[in-house]
Amino acid sequence: MPAHTLDPNKWVDKYSDYLFNYTIVRVNNREVANDLISETFLAALKSAKNFKGEASERTWLISILKRKIIDYYRKINSRKGKAEVKIKYSDDYNEGEWLEEQVADQFDKTAEDEMENTELGLAILECLDGINEKHAEIFKRKTIDGVDTDAICNEFNITPSNLWVIIHRARTALAACLEKNWF
Amino acid sequence: MGKKSKFLFFDCSQAATCCDKSQYEEANLFQKAKLMLHLAFCKTCRKFSARNSRLTSLLKESKLEKCPEEKKKQWREEIKKEFAEEGN
Repeated sequence: MPAHTLDPNKWVDKYSDYLFNYTIVRVNNREVANDLISETFLAALKSAKNFKGEASERTWLISILKRKIIDYYRKINSRKGKAEVKIKYSDDYNEGEWLEEQVADQFDKTAEDEMENTELGLAILECLDGINEKHAEIFKRKTIDGVDTDAICNEFNITPSNLWVIIHRARTALAACLEKNWF
Repeated sequence: MGKKSKFLFFDCSQAATCCDKSQYEEANLFQKAKLMLHLAFCKTCRKFSARNSRLTSLLKESKLEKCPEEKKKQWREEIKKEFAEEGN
């Protein structure tokens, strides 16, 4: 059995914030970022059969997203008439016109990848993967969206003291994880 | 602890909660004063508090964003639809 399996119905909950933050620093436009993520999910579904389970779901999705981002820059370049774009991505030996439909999940770890791994925001989101999904969501609503306590309590049907216990545990776990992986 | 000292002194778990709240600007002045008092004589909580503040500044520094809920909803539906089609 492969070490990793795909569960597309959970992709949005698990990875959309991660993909969004990854994209936004690269394209700096919300609308474009949203479109690219949407395309990434669809391309991923199409190439799901190429997923070998060797990399994690997230690594694999990111590898597809990367190509979408590159395509995006190619497109705006060609619109400006600055660069010639080759529409055909693949060589003739392989099936499938589009590279992302051929994406496999073993990717060379390059120096660039290592650098990307150290991006703080993404490191934080990766650390949040380690805690209970619902608690992570509550923590994100509170900390990233800055929603106030009462609203979150209503949304998740918990008491304020529940909320602070959850926040406390999330912060403690996050601090420990970041100390290990970031500093 | 007597009533009076409870009024003035936090135990460590109260201090921790207060410290968490103050990371979100949700501790009032009096609670903050009690926290300071507790930190003055509790080394463990001082350490926790420093770590907690560091985490807050890291979170600010990271400029993390969440993508809008309506987008997520739309993607969920798209995936569900596509996935069902792929399965057939």
